[in-house]
Amino acid sequence: MTARVVVAGIGNAFRRDDGAGPAVARVVAASTGAVDIGPIGEPLDLLGRWDAADLAVLVDATRSDAAAGTVRLVDLGDAVYRSSQSTHAIGLDRVVRLAQVLRRAPARVVVVGIEGEDFSDGEGLSPAVGDAVPAAARRIAELIAEAS
Amino acid sequence: MTPSGPNANRTIDVHGLARVEGEGSLHVAIHDGVLERVELEIFEPPRFFEAFLVGRGYEESPDITARICGICPVAYQMSACAAIEDACGVTVPESVGKLRRLLYCGEWIQSHALHIYLLHAPDFFGCRDAVELAALNPAAVERGLRLKKIGNHLMELVGGRAIHPVNVRVGGFYRSPERAEIAAMIEPLQRAREESLETIAWVAGFEFPEIEADYRFVALSHPDHYAIEAGRVVSSDGIDATPGEFADVAVEEHVARSSALHSRLRGRDPYLTGPLARYALNGSKLPKVARDAAAEAGLGPVCANPFKSIIVRAVELYFACDEALRLATEYEPPEPAAVPVPPRAHAGAGATEAPRGMLLQRYELDAEGTILSARIMPPTAQNQLTIESDVRQVVESGLELGDTELTARCELAVRNHDPCISCAAHFLDVSIDRS
Repeated sequence: MTARVVVAGIGNAFRRDDGAGPAVARVVAASTGAVDIGPIGEPLDLLGRWDAADLAVLVDATRSDAAAGTVRLVDLGDAVYRSSQSTHAIGLDRVVRLAQVLRRAPARVVVVGIEGEDFSDGEGLSPAVGDAVPAAARRIAELIAEAS
Repeated sequence: MTPSGPNANRTIDVHGLARVEGEGSLHVAIHDGVLERVELEIFEPPRFFEAFLVGRGYEESPDITARICGICPVAYQMSACAAIEDACGVTVPESVGKLRRLLYCGEWIQSHALHIYLLHAPDFFGCRDAVELAALNPAAVERGLRLKKIGNHLMELVGGRAIHPVNVRVGGFYRSPERAEIAAMIEPLQRAREESLETIAWVAGFEFPEIEADYRFVALSHPDHYAIEAGRVVSSDGIDATPGEFADVAVEEHVARSSALHSRLRGRDPYLTGPLARYALNGSKLPKVARDAAAEAGLGPVCANPFKSIIVRAVELYFACDEALRLATEYEPPEPAAVPVPPRAHAGAGATEAPRGMLLQRYELDAEGTILSARIMPPTAQNQLTIESDVRQVVESGLELGDTELTARCELAVRNHDPCISCAAHFLDVSIDRS
């Protein structure tokens, strides 16, 4: 049986490396049977788009002390439920919990982070981040194979 | 916690108030069973938007001010456009005004649905958050999510996207949506209107503390309809002014505990903007179905119980769905989508009704349209003193409550007004001190 997989790239392609998520999501959607459910304006947008999926992959740029292009996976099954609530945003962890309570959560939610280095105005990824796009897509293809 | 009881010395501190936007806290001090002090602190850093605007072109103000808030960017855009157009002496055609009102209805629907179902309702069920409420009442939360989604769709359709719309400009819009695009919203809006009536019946069944506040209400008022995107500023004690005239009588003062300015009407007490004010001052202009539903929910022509603001918000949710449906049904694309707004050396002011209250902006331009000065009065800053007054009344009427229950009620008293601290900071965390 083929798994139902959805992928969403999060980020703004007009802020250079912040566009890494959408770039990876495009490659994954083109090379696998995953459905691209982006763009996502806020985490609540995921409800209704990822329902009944076996696997949901959210790809976003990260900014930490890691080397540019570093790809990291966070399985939200293990995530700590600690985001604060405001009138503006309900965090991804809370949306996962809400979806679980409403029985609309994907069986597995994985966040894939790609470390960026240049978040200035403009289009195009920096070389290290651009090189990491196929690597991130391969890691996601492995997740999809596991889910199938 | 220090010992509780009506005669004790108590301090209630709520550090980091939940389910409100921004960084703030509430400190309540009770000495020998007498309430000494209520202070709503807003420590969200000042954001200096008014200073950013100085030196920028007049046509940039809708996009710059939209960035003040992710939940009511349309309110900022609409008030900015109204103020700039006032300064330039331009009145937009009726078709542009109607499309602005349709976009604004989308913002009211998504913001009111979010606040009613995900932020405010959990309090009435003793739930910590929407996740707990969803476990208790999944059907209600699903209904709220559907309503919010329709509001978001409407904003995306007219505004280009739901958060910080990109289709709004001084003079109108960059592009008028096609007739067929708007027509596709009619069926979803019909469902939303039905679900908003169910919302009114649902919240009317909640248990409310019995409190009546003595509010001075301020809202926009329009002769033809329930004011959203245009109108004169009126109050429950006789003010009837243009937005520019109102800006002259509303004095803002800085106090040390808050990065938001406190608003008072010159020589008078604090005032309240928002759903309770709009309902009290403009309720007769609501459609009959909304008025009947409000009466069935137990509301009179004025609602002065802040806890029942959730019912008023639900009535407004119905109104926004009904009004959006009417506007979508009658839609004719504005042609052109925007009218020219040549700059002139002049000052102008504009006010519109954000979901949480009246938002006023005033600009002074030079002959080239460069912004020489800007003043922004967000609803939460205008409401801050009245929110403190509400908390004072809640504490005084609830001294017999234990600290946990009293703290929860204080937080609810703040959330009643759906404050946006980030917008005001120019806020939340509660402390009760019985010492």
